Amino acid sequence: MFLAIMLIVAQTAVLLAISPFLVGLIRKVKARLQLRRGASVLQPYADLAKLFQKQPLLSTTTSWIFTATPYIVFGSTLTAGLLVPTFTSQTPMNFAGNIIALVYLLALGTFFLILAGLDTGSVFGGMGSSREAIVASLAEPAMILAIFAIALTNGSTNVSTIVHKTALLEGIVTDPSPHLMALAALFIVALAETGRVPVDNPATHLELTMIHEAMLLEYSGRYLALLEWAAGLKLAVFLSLIANVFAPWGIATTVTPSAMGIGLLAYIVKTAALAIFIGVIECMFAKLRLFRVTDLLGVAFILALLGLLFFYILRS
Amino acid sequence: MIAVLVLLIAPLLAGGLSLVVHRSGWLHGINLASMGALVTAEVVITHTVLRSGPVTALDQLVYLDALSTFILFIIGTVGLACSFYMRSYMDEQVARGVIAPSQLNQFFFLFHMFVLAMVIATMANSVGVQWVAIEATTLATTFLIAFWRRRESLEAGWKYLILCSVGISLALFGVVLLYYSSLHVLSDASQGLNVTHLLPVADRLNPQVLKLAFIFILVGYGTKVGLVPMHSWLPDAYTEAPAPVVAMLAGVLEVVAAYAILRVRVIVDHAVPFAFAGGLLALLGFASFLTAAFFITIQHNYKRLFAYSSIEHMGIAMIGLGVGGPLGTFGGLFHLLNHALAKSMAFFAAGNIHRRFHTVEIGQVQGVAMAQPWTAMALMISGLTLSALPPFAAFSSEVQVVAALASQGVPEMELAGTVGLVTVTLSDQFSRVALVSVFLVGAVLSFGGLLYRITGMVWGTPPEGMVREEIWTLGHLPIILLTMALMGFTFFLPPPIQQLLERATSIILIH
Amino acid sequence: MQGLSSLGSQLVDLCSALLLLTCFAIVAQRRLSACVDLFALQSAFLVVTAALVAYLTGNHHIYLAAGLTGVIKVIIIPRVLKKVIDRLNVKRELVMHVNVPTGLLICGGLVMLAFFIAQPIIPLGSLLTRDSLAIALAIVLIGLFTMIARHQAVSQLVGFLVLENGLFLGATAATYGMPLVVELGVFFDVLIATLIAGIYTNRLQDAFDSVDTDRLTVLKE
Repeated sequence: MFLAIMLIVAQTAVLLAISPFLVGLIRKVKARLQLRRGASVLQPYADLAKLFQKQPLLSTTTSWIFTATPYIVFGSTLTAGLLVPTFTSQTPMNFAGNIIALVYLLALGTFFLILAGLDTGSVFGGMGSSREAIVASLAEPAMILAIFAIALTNGSTNVSTIVHKTALLEGIVTDPSPHLMALAALFIVALAETGRVPVDNPATHLELTMIHEAMLLEYSGRYLALLEWAAGLKLAVFLSLIANVFAPWGIATTVTPSAMGIGLLAYIVKTAALAIFIGVIECMFAKLRLFRVTDLLGVAFILALLGLLFFYILRS
Repeated sequence: MIAVLVLLIAPLLAGGLSLVVHRSGWLHGINLASMGALVTAEVVITHTVLRSGPVTALDQLVYLDALSTFILFIIGTVGLACSFYMRSYMDEQVARGVIAPSQLNQFFFLFHMFVLAMVIATMANSVGVQWVAIEATTLATTFLIAFWRRRESLEAGWKYLILCSVGISLALFGVVLLYYSSLHVLSDASQGLNVTHLLPVADRLNPQVLKLAFIFILVGYGTKVGLVPMHSWLPDAYTEAPAPVVAMLAGVLEVVAAYAILRVRVIVDHAVPFAFAGGLLALLGFASFLTAAFFITIQHNYKRLFAYSSIEHMGIAMIGLGVGGPLGTFGGLFHLLNHALAKSMAFFAAGNIHRRFHTVEIGQVQGVAMAQPWTAMALMISGLTLSALPPFAAFSSEVQVVAALASQGVPEMELAGTVGLVTVTLSDQFSRVALVSVFLVGAVLSFGGLLYRITGMVWGTPPEGMVREEIWTLGHLPIILLTMALMGFTFFLPPPIQQLLERATSIILIH
Repeated sequence: MQGLSSLGSQLVDLCSALLLLTCFAIVAQRRLSACVDLFALQSAFLVVTAALVAYLTGNHHIYLAAGLTGVIKVIIIPRVLKKVIDRLNVKRELVMHVNVPTGLLICGGLVMLAFFIAQPIIPLGSLLTRDSLAIALAIVLIGLFTMIARHQAVSQLVGFLVLENGLFLGATAATYGMPLVVELGVFFDVLIATLIAGIYTNRLQDAFDSVDTDRLTVLKE
């Protein structure tokens, strides 16, 4: 019991600490690739600290949803984060839910964010909400299918069990082809869900293109800080999921201090590598037109479906 | 084997020389000399094969048995006829300024490469090398088809290149599968595609893999043969290419592609029930035959008319080979020969008519008999042969095919399972009668369509101002010779050809 | 063939799957030059696969095939295609007969079909991998589909090259390479075919002022 509580605390701390770092790292990589020096990797921490000290302003037309949303989004994303193994394969909230709960915890956050965007009554908020709804509704099925494909090959819907099994395995993964399809699908979904470049551009406030930023436009002060932090957390959750399910190398499978130490180090290296990769992608590709996003998420859906069917056809 | 080397070196050398020589007389001379050497070597090889059985040479790369020698014979004969015809045809194109004299070099180079590729495809022991050579024929001919560089010919050439390349690629997958199946049986992997190594162990190859391989190979090379439904490039290419090239395409290339199918089929038949490959061949044969017969009746362009007639006759040959038995196989092979001779002659005539009338519309061509008596004769005779009327040789081969069909019927198709096609099983007696009736209806359709159109062109009065004479050229020599062959083969098949055909039949008939 | 490590076969499997993945990217990609880049990437994966197979089976002539693939398909052919594209007045986005999501669905179906066809013959082989033959067939079918689904001459060519990659994967992963003569011949043919098609595209561009193959309708019944 004590151990479980300790793990919960540790994982919460790790997630909260690493998410601004990942955001900063992506920005840094982009800046360097564009031949700029860029802000320090630690800049997002400073931003958050600054925002928490500012007084939030609320529009008179908003209802309770607007003020509740930041807490709900932050809470649900953090809970989702506790369901994903980070530095140890035994998640602290193992008992509380499986991979499906993870998906819907994230969806809950998205739902409230969409409501909040509408709640302000501003044009941009509504526009952002409707776009986010399109993206989310296309990304969700692909994500579920990809996750099922992984769950089937490992015979469990519990992320912790999946990672634990894979980590103890010889070779790379159990089944390369379905895994690769699911990985590709999940990666595309991750880009879409975290508002990264081919789908959304987090660096711009250009009214014609923004999705996520449009919904946050009316937020300020600590509310904004919470939402920014939640966005970072979501990125961290997705990266942890991808890193640990497909490459569980180095993750701690036992509860010893040395294994934990190695696990933590491996975790930081893996997520940082993924973040750098995302930064490179953001530089290489242009943002897609909104109506082309369906093509991209269509690819994700088909790939996930194939991963699933590979399992049934090949292994039946 | 010097003769084998001559077969390879003659076209290669001629191709090389064609690039450096600039006098058109020399170019034709080289061409005729190389074709002459080819035919001579062919005769020597026929003699050797008939006397002492199959020949292997060049470290097992070359394998010549009666079947491949028979195909070589067709290449040599039609090639020589084309070379004579080209003499007058190409010179006139240069004289009229349709092509620059320098383009003649390009033309002859590609032509020789085309011949070389076909010779290699026929002689190759390895099914893989054969594939490479057949793909090379596609590459060599695509510019020959688009030789006039008009929009239409570019379109035809592009269609040909893309469709045939794709088809051929599918055939390569079949070859890969064949190799895959042989790997488990043969110890020496490097020989795993050689016919000489595959045949002795063919009955131990895995039937599932072979079935799949044969389907891919049939579809792939079938594109090249022009079997329906992979035929859509064929009428376009035959309309747009220069006449001697079309004569080679229709007379030889189709036969070589069909030969490639037969080679694999012999291997497949060892391990898989005969009905599988035979049934598929007959199925495609019937599809081609009936589709082409229909299109022949609605054609108003005489080159396309002959193109569809090609599809029809390859269909007939495939039916014969598919139905099998001594009669059907012999008839099918013999039909390949007759069709090659008749079709090259038909395209020589078509080329002559096009040069005089400057149109491909049947309705605008009248009175060829007055304007070009020799050509009219060639047109009539090839038309009669292609309609399979006696006393021309195609009559006897077609009767053999029909007789085989009537006595044996199409082998029952057992396609279900592997390919998931529906099995069609009719009662034996009924299906045979029905098939023969369908065949006869198709034959009558194409007979009527072809002869009606051709007689319309031959008789009547030529348009005003048309010159009413035909100067004798070297191009008329092959017409005379081909006519004699087509008539002669009905009554008297020369013993070497007869023996080649019989041996080739027994190679295909393994059971 | 010999006792191969499961890690090795997993790696080959992974590389084949990567090839299939790039196929889907090509089908979803509307920009012509990006299609060419993706083809080069796919060929690079093919080189890795071939080299892996060569290393694992000890068949040294596959190294040669891998090297040739690298030179011809990763370097020469993409460059030729880029040159051809530069000359064309192609719009940024390609027109397709089938829209992207439908195309992807069809390709998914084709993959299923390929696995269905290859399923009965997979257990026969002492194969390095379970999936490579089926994936090779799937790539062949997707290449075929790309050629049918696109109007544009160069993208039809890319489809053909993808198809060819599938064939090469099949020959390498399923049969550890064909005999050397055949292998060299195939390379030669592919190279020449691409060059010829490039020349054709230029001539089509000159004659029709477009390389949209839907405009090739002069010849019909």
